[in-house]
Amino acid sequence: MSFKKIHFLTGCVVVTLLLTACEGLFSGLYDNDKLTEQEQEMAAAAAGRLYVDASDWEKWYYLDIQELRDSVNALKEKDSTAVYTYRWKEYDIPMERTEASDTPTGIYTYWYDVFGAGISVNERRDFYPTIEQPMPERWSIAVHRNNVRTNGASVYETGYTSIADLPGGKDAFTDCTFIEDQWSEKDVWVVQDQMLSGLIGNQGIKINPVLSQWLLVSIPPMPPQFTLNNHVFILRLNDGTYAALQLENYLNSAGKKCCLTINYKYPL
Amino acid sequence: MKSEKRLCVLSLLCTLCTAIAAQRADSVFNLNDVVVTATRTPKLLKDVPIQTRLITLKDIERTDATDVQDLLQQEMPGVEFSYAMNQQRHMNFCGFGGQSILFLIDGERLAGETLDDVDFTRLNMANVQRIEIVKGAASALYGSNAGGGVVNIITKDGGKPWALNLNARLARHNEQRYGGNWTVNSERVANTLNFNYNGTDNYSVKNAPNPQALVYGMVYGDKTYHVKDKVTFRPIDGMKIVGRAGYFYRTLSRTADNPERYRDFSAGLRGLWQMGSNDHLDIAYAFDQYDKSDFQEIARLDIRDYSNVQNSVRAVYNHGFSGVGTLTVGADYLHDYLFNKNLEGENCQQDAFDAFAQMDWNVSARWELVGALRYDYFSDHRNSHLTPKLTARYKILDNLTLRFGYGMGFRAPTLKERYYNFDMAGIWTVQGNPQLQSEVSHNVNIAAEWTRRKFNLTVSTYYNNMTNKIATGIPYYSPEGNGKLFLPYINLKNYSVCGAEMTMQVRFDNGFSGKLSYAITSEHLPQDKDGTTISNQYIPARTHSLIARFDWDKQFTKNYGLSIGLNGRFLSAVNNEEYVNLQDISQGTKSVCYPAYTLWKLSTVQRFGKAVRLTLALDNLFNYIPTYYYYNAPVTDGISFQAGVSVDIDNLF
Repeated sequence: MSFKKIHFLTGCVVVTLLLTACEGLFSGLYDNDKLTEQEQEMAAAAAGRLYVDASDWEKWYYLDIQELRDSVNALKEKDSTAVYTYRWKEYDIPMERTEASDTPTGIYTYWYDVFGAGISVNERRDFYPTIEQPMPERWSIAVHRNNVRTNGASVYETGYTSIADLPGGKDAFTDCTFIEDQWSEKDVWVVQDQMLSGLIGNQGIKINPVLSQWLLVSIPPMPPQFTLNNHVFILRLNDGTYAALQLENYLNSAGKKCCLTINYKYPL
Repeated sequence: MKSEKRLCVLSLLCTLCTAIAAQRADSVFNLNDVVVTATRTPKLLKDVPIQTRLITLKDIERTDATDVQDLLQQEMPGVEFSYAMNQQRHMNFCGFGGQSILFLIDGERLAGETLDDVDFTRLNMANVQRIEIVKGAASALYGSNAGGGVVNIITKDGGKPWALNLNARLARHNEQRYGGNWTVNSERVANTLNFNYNGTDNYSVKNAPNPQALVYGMVYGDKTYHVKDKVTFRPIDGMKIVGRAGYFYRTLSRTADNPERYRDFSAGLRGLWQMGSNDHLDIAYAFDQYDKSDFQEIARLDIRDYSNVQNSVRAVYNHGFSGVGTLTVGADYLHDYLFNKNLEGENCQQDAFDAFAQMDWNVSARWELVGALRYDYFSDHRNSHLTPKLTARYKILDNLTLRFGYGMGFRAPTLKERYYNFDMAGIWTVQGNPQLQSEVSHNVNIAAEWTRRKFNLTVSTYYNNMTNKIATGIPYYSPEGNGKLFLPYINLKNYSVCGAEMTMQVRFDNGFSGKLSYAITSEHLPQDKDGTTISNQYIPARTHSLIARFDWDKQFTKNYGLSIGLNGRFLSAVNNEEYVNLQDISQGTKSVCYPAYTLWKLSTVQRFGKAVRLTLALDNLFNYIPTYYYYNAPVTDGISFQAGVSVDIDNLF
């Protein structure tokens, strides 16, 4: 190859790079994260699957699983291929101070050894009362980031990692030990603006300690580490029916944490 | 200020004493090696008019360093690497942060940053021929970010007709390093292909109760991959065309199912033409793209959240006036594109242009003067700078050289510092400031170097005064009363740092060599424009630091040689004024003491024939374990055994 050809080719390469590379190359390596909330839901939507962005520190999101079942069945009658997207009902967590009352409802400020031994080392620093947590008339479970509550239900954690593998029917679980919701005043983190000082405001409320294990947040390390527990959980509702729940993912496509994709089966 | 003045006077006296004590030279300290960084022209190390620290290939092999961080903290006193937020690495280089030290690879800038500093893991030591370090302001030749100095990493360039090296090293925490380097070289064409892998596991560390400042409890290991290829084509005598391409990939798992990924794509084409004995032209195009993404294991999504792309073209022309000196003129153009999800509009870009001229004047056999002037223009906010530099070298005796000079340095605000808007987990919002001005530093330095037979002594001192230093300022609550807290980038009122360094080296014929290097650094606490003393953005430099190295090398037989090395570093304690409560500044500041420490490494290298080298080392020999893992604590949890092997396949036959 002559020098002229080499120089020409070299020039072409340089010009091509200059013209094409100003905003970078290889964008095809990456996936699209520009999905709207509705697109997120659709991306996660499938038969037996739910999606909710539960990342807001100051909101609970409520699911009525009977309503879900009825809506899915109604839709299937019209179009057997359609996928139903459920609208979770959101309720603000009361943050305004009220007069003291007999109930322990309120905001509990705890100091956690966030930058030292971790959140297992903590002490209560403050409390002020608030009104009770508002909620819809009918609901089955509610989620807030990594916390889960039930409406008078109880929960058992199985060793299964797929709902499809569960033994048929609810009878397989009737003898298992189901755990009801328990009072908590240092798990539901709602006030984060003093976090650098290790101070976090918690809502005093009952949560389900078993179902809340589906997404664990641990400190140390810092920043907090999220660990997904992909076991199937059995929910025994207060009407005696059973549901299976499994956390499939806790990230949306943009990587936002506490955007929950949940597999379910109801009734068992 | 008084202590700073005393420090400067003492250092000056020390320098002059050394000069007086000087005698004739007999160099064995690489003083005849050619360096290029100080003046952008090739010069012998002993003749270079600006104090240049050379780290040779032998030094790199002796330290067995994996990357530039590993190397610098073993070789340079006054250099410390600590953690910034999110365990990204921050460098303090004699009082200058990583933002004010310009890192180059073969003269080319690097794109991207990890919380202000370059990604040091990109700068691995495989295929590195030498590193040239010029301390002090070098913006008159290199522009922005060279306010504190320049670190130029020079890669290997051909050699034997063919060579193949394979190497591996294993150490604690499942540290694994594998590398290979393949070179072919003919009369006109040479090619060097290099690959390297380095990986370490995450591991947790324990802290005592009640730390005084932020600590970390987990060390995040990572996995890095490098592939680089460099082709050199010599079409005619005196002309060289170099093409290169490189890929870097790093992954780090803070959360098991959401690992972070860092990638860099680089390429370049460079032509060097020696036109007769007096003229030299260097033209180059460089492309560098540094990306960050998060990989979602569950959904199998790789989401990019950062990309910095730099395209640059430069030309440097040298003309030598026989016996009088060298004129250097040059110009650069850089297009800088930044995509960051935390920028308003997610992306922004700017163009930068500069032109510079330097006259290197050999006044006499003993005197050399170098003057340089550079003009820089940045399209963002139409920011421009004129940067001068004047330095002199005076050979008092053949083996005693005095160097002194004044230089201006500057750092233009980055696009991130101007347009960032990052909600840090709801704690506060790191807020860019479009009105930021460039930080400007004025640097004076003086250095003396004396060499006699097997002994070399270098003493240097410097003073830097910086105006408009760019840093994060005092957090404030939104005036809208919504309780949102902001951490803004601001220009500080003034900031200064001064220091001195002394290095003594001996090399005996019996195979023994030693080096002691001591640095003293004094950082003056920053103030905002209202004169309020504010907390340092980063932990300041330690006042005293010492590097010691002792080596013994003997070739017992034709096929067996042994080298034993002991090297260590000592860093004094450092106090830092920090806010009692970052979210309530009215509570004032407290003084936090970060403790002193010393670390030592004992290593042996056994050579079997010409092809095989076996390295065994004990790192952290005295099993130092920090009581608190503060952000500037050494990243170690005790003694570590390292074993490595390197085979030159071409020497087996």
